[in-house]
Amino acid sequence: MALLDTSGRRASVSSASAQPETRATSKLAQKLELNGFTRRDFLKYCGCLAGMMGLSQLAAPQVAEALEIGAEGGKLLPVIWLEGSSCTGCTEALTQGTTPDIPQLVLETIALNYSETLSAAAGHSLEEARRETIEAGSYLVVYEGAVVTAYDGNILRVADEKGTDVLLETVKNAEAVIALGSCACDGGWMAVRPDDADAMGVQKFLSEHNVDVPVVNIPCCPANPEWLTSVILEYVLTGHLPELNDKNEPAALFSQTIHDNCPRRGHFENGEFVYQFGSEEEAKGYCLYPLGCKGPQTYAPCAVTRWNRSLSWCVEAGAPCAGCATINPMNPQANWVDENTPFLERHRDFAVGPITFQPTTVAVGLTVLVVAVLGVHCAGMKLAGRMDGGADFEPERRWDEKHGGPEAHEAGARAQRLYDDLDEMGLEPKNTGLHRKRDAAARKAAAKEAPQAADSNNDTHAEGGDE
Amino acid sequence: MAHLAHYREAHPLPMVATHWVNLIAMIVLIVSGLQIHYPLIPGVMGIARGLHMFFAFVLVINCIVRIVFAFVFKSAPAGGTRRLVRDYKTWLPQKDNKHQLWAWISYYLFLRREHPIAAKLGVPQKIVYLLIAPLIFFTAYTGFCLWGPTMNWPVFTWGLELVGGPMNMRVIHYLCMWVFIIFMCIHIYLSLVEGASPATLIFFWKETPGLVYDPDTMNITGFDGMGKEPDYGETFKDPVRAAADAAAVAAREKHGKE
Ligand code: HEM
Ligand code: HEM
Ligand code: SF4
Ligand code: SF4
Repeated sequence: MALLDTSGRRASVSSASAQPETRATSKLAQKLELNGFTRRDFLKYCGCLAGMMGLSQLAAPQVAEALEIGAEGGKLLPVIWLEGSSCTGCTEALTQGTTPDIPQLVLETIALNYSETLSAAAGHSLEEARRETIEAGSYLVVYEGAVVTAYDGNILRVADEKGTDVLLETVKNAEAVIALGSCACDGGWMAVRPDDADAMGVQKFLSEHNVDVPVVNIPCCPANPEWLTSVILEYVLTGHLPELNDKNEPAALFSQTIHDNCPRRGHFENGEFVYQFGSEEEAKGYCLYPLGCKGPQTYAPCAVTRWNRSLSWCVEAGAPCAGCATINPMNPQANWVDENTPFLERHRDFAVGPITFQPTTVAVGLTVLVVAVLGVHCAGMKLAGRMDGGADFEPERRWDEKHGGPEAHEAGARAQRLYDDLDEMGLEPKNTGLHRKRDAAARKAAAKEAPQAADSNNDTHAEGGDE
Repeated sequence: MAHLAHYREAHPLPMVATHWVNLIAMIVLIVSGLQIHYPLIPGVMGIARGLHMFFAFVLVINCIVRIVFAFVFKSAPAGGTRRLVRDYKTWLPQKDNKHQLWAWISYYLFLRREHPIAAKLGVPQKIVYLLIAPLIFFTAYTGFCLWGPTMNWPVFTWGLELVGGPMNMRVIHYLCMWVFIIFMCIHIYLSLVEGASPATLIFFWKETPGLVYDPDTMNITGFDGMGKEPDYGETFKDPVRAAADAAAVAAREKHGKE
């Protein structure tokens, strides 16, 4: 087991088993008990955590022990929680209203020692605490909200400093930055067209400023606190960040789509859909695909970890997935909102200047236009008498008439003679008509009216066709 | 008067087969694709997706086969002749078409009265048909970017990254369908507006009488009645065939008189 083999700097599990008595009295255990959680609850949570870190659920007791040992040793890993241009929704998601949750308690006990939103302290002393942590080094930064860069960064000022400067200063000695929530990953809501604030994600901002601190992106709006704690705790326990995918998201969490794990997937496969809210189909819990569910395009483990203490999540609660986990860290213009609105349509809108439109509108419009033009063209063909066989051929290519050699002119003259002869004989090479019966009747009628024409045709076969 | 004789040599049987497969695959893909886009008929989503993926493979393989056929089989370089060249040559620029692009455009815009002389495929036609193959491969690529079993392959994640994710890829894939639909509207219109002969040839391999084209002089030299009408001028037929056609015409004439 990777967890046990790692001679992590922070917590060694082998020493944990050497002193099992710490478990009963550990600070963490006390804290949990005070908040009404049983050891069983805690172990269950540790099982989930083990799962998210790519370990077996059976590793739960070891994870629990490691957490408790870590907590015993005091604040092992300082975490600085910075607010960018945010709604603090991700903080809200972590604190979850009235009672603290296991992840929050664990995180607070083991790591979190500075948060702009949650700290009791304020103003100067708080800034001082942050500076001290930076000086001491070896800490993680959690960044919530977008990095807004308009007006040279003055659009967001914190404690009389530019928000961008605070970020740059804070990451200076950090071991890693966790960009928490889609805003921090690529600008999110803040970067939505027309993006007046020049918002972007932490990764792009830091790479533009040549800062090479590792960035872990944890998307969603808000980010699920369980993913955050799993990343921090994995770092605490093993001393390394989780394996990241090409968007710097924890690969174990963000490699499958919502649709892959959705409980309504059976209905999708059966072709049982909700077409309208409030319908009978909705009551039956059918698939929300026609209502614009972005689950098939969205890589996130919402269906697995679920939300609000694993209570439920968007699709389970009856809302089509809005695709809030869609991030493009280096391209704020492709933020999840612009990529996925309108939420209740199957496809996103596109925009040219101030005009937004659905792909279907343009495609159908263009097709109707083409068909209309063809209709007009068809009327033209009819008027020009080209319908049964097209127009007469040019005897010689126009270009050849002017620029061609004698052979071309000769061939042209020959063709002209041929056409004259054929005209004289009334031989009309026509295509098979589209209305065979009608044409046959017309021909019969014509033959009756002009029997002489048939006679003149008779003359031709002696000459024709022997070459 | 116009129109060349429609000879089988223009579209040899293997190409008639690939055109059929192409048509069927395309129709199934469009119908099932529209169903996937918005499941109007609820119960058949599974079938639609199954058919869509099956015919996706059919379409791609058929397209590759058609390209291989171009190097294996021979076909006529122009309409109105039974002369044969390696089929791929009919897809390259041909002398017969030189300086004829504007002629075609102005013909279709009613800016000129006369039908331009051309090789088997007129210039705009050739360009558009040539674009169909890359468009099929491109659509297939975007489709495989959306298909569960393949979407995590590096070739496809590269493309997903490039366009900004699966939502945009879906829209691109969807718009590709509309490009095919628009092509088909124009293609079907143009192949039918001057009569059914081109279609009866490509679908049923049925020949129709018409003018005879001489690839050497690159102009029209005669009229092939194919036993339905009297031949005239230079038709390049072997004597046996010519005699048979003449006899058939004589018999028809006699029959018609009674
Ligand atoms: C040639 C290879 C093709 C492949 C591999 C392919 C594959 C796919 C896949 C995987 C999907 C998504 C299905 C799902 O989410 O379950 C899809 C959707 C679709 N396909 Fe194709 N397809 C191909 C060709 C075509 C063609 C030629 C057309 C139309 C001419 C077409 C039209 C559509 C449409 C309209 C959708 C629905 C898109 C949406 O609204 O999300 N596909 N295709
Ligand atoms: C009812 C439908 C269709 C009709 C009547 C039709 C008719 C024709 C005709 C007459 C030709 C021969 C053109 C010539 O050489 O003069 C042709 C060739 C061709 N058609 Fe169609 N077609 C139909 C559907 C389609 C569809 C759906 C596609 C693909 C999207 C397609 C793609 C092509 C291509 C690529 C060629 C040139 C191919 C070759 O030589 O193998 N056709 N078609
Ligand atoms: S509700 Fe959404 S995620 Fe779930 S099966 Fe339907 S389309 Fe997929
Ligand atoms: S289900 Fe979709 S909308 Fe809901 S949190 Fe997950 S990614 Fe976001």
